[in-house]
Amino acid sequence: MKEDVSLRLDQCLLRFMDQLELLEEKREKLNSLIEQGWFCISKARYAMGNKQVSALQYSNEIVPQVCVHVRRVSNGEMEFGTERMDRGPSEDTTNTPRQVEEVGPVDEGVRRRKTTTAKDSKAQSNASVKPVAEEEASVNKGSPGHQDPLKWFGILVPQSLKQAQSAFSQVIELSAEVAALQTAVLVTRKELQTLMEEKHKAAQGKEKGKGS
Amino acid sequence: MAGRAKLVAVIGDEDTCTGFLLSGVGELKKTRESNFLVVEKDTSIAEIEETFRGFLGRDDVGIILINQFVAEMIRHAIDAHVQSIPAVLEIPSKEHPYDASKDSILRRAEGMFSAEDFR
Repeated sequence: MKEDVSLRLDQCLLRFMDQLELLEEKREKLNSLIEQGWFCISKARYAMGNKQVSALQYSNEIVPQVCVHVRRVSNGEMEFGTERMDRGPSEDTTNTPRQVEEVGPVDEGVRRRKTTTAKDSKAQSNASVKPVAEEEASVNKGSPGHQDPLKWFGILVPQSLKQAQSAFSQVIELSAEVAALQTAVLVTRKELQTLMEEKHKAAQGKEKGKGS
Repeated sequence: MAGRAKLVAVIGDEDTCTGFLLSGVGELKKTRESNFLVVEKDTSIAEIEETFRGFLGRDDVGIILINQFVAEMIRHAIDAHVQSIPAVLEIPSKEHPYDASKDSILRRAEGMFSAEDFR
């Protein structure tokens, strides 16, 4: 029995050491990517100006584009996975071409507003199209947060800002892995403690048996 | 992967928050409720702690990223958090590199070993 506990203890300890080594490796990569991201932001700030790359540029309303899925595994560990929600709802992408088509007639109707009455019938038919286009425009405007955060800093941003975005995106993915490893390390630590207590009890029981 | 979609919260200096918001993790509602806090020189420890506890209390936050120098200010609150979710990750800042000896998770893992255990 004691040998069995010792064997499990050894296996658990080896697993713990492996997890710690992997955690340290991921952490180093994470920290390096973060530093790379800061360097790119500093380069962008140098190119665009101090105030152009700061918290003042954040949008008034932000919708998250990246989320994390968390799942509990049977042994108590947690799995973390990231998901990017880059595109808006499918209605936006399917409606956009129609909106482009309908803006044409609406504009013509506006342009024709000052023309002769003979063309009023055409303007009336276009007017029925107007509310639909406006509705679609309001639907699109209703989701301002799905805008690429790069656009907060201007229409044309330097390449360094895009590189910063890419670096921090990789950081997010690595963060999920590091978070999972952290929970794994703590679960293995708890298991080690339990096994050590078991081993001590077995050793104490054996000593009492020898004494009697 | 199954599981409800959760957010990544960030507590850090301006560059850290800017970087992570660029990657798309930020949320800012019309009610000014957000999942990030930009820590400046005049940000009080009480505000940082309140924000941290707020994130812990939310069920839609899966990971909290916090600069390690900010984590040092509220170390007692971070050490008291023992649940798996949200996971708290300490990250370096521009002026304070990452120090593994200060990380709450690694300190918990390191503290378990003593000479008696190896008899």
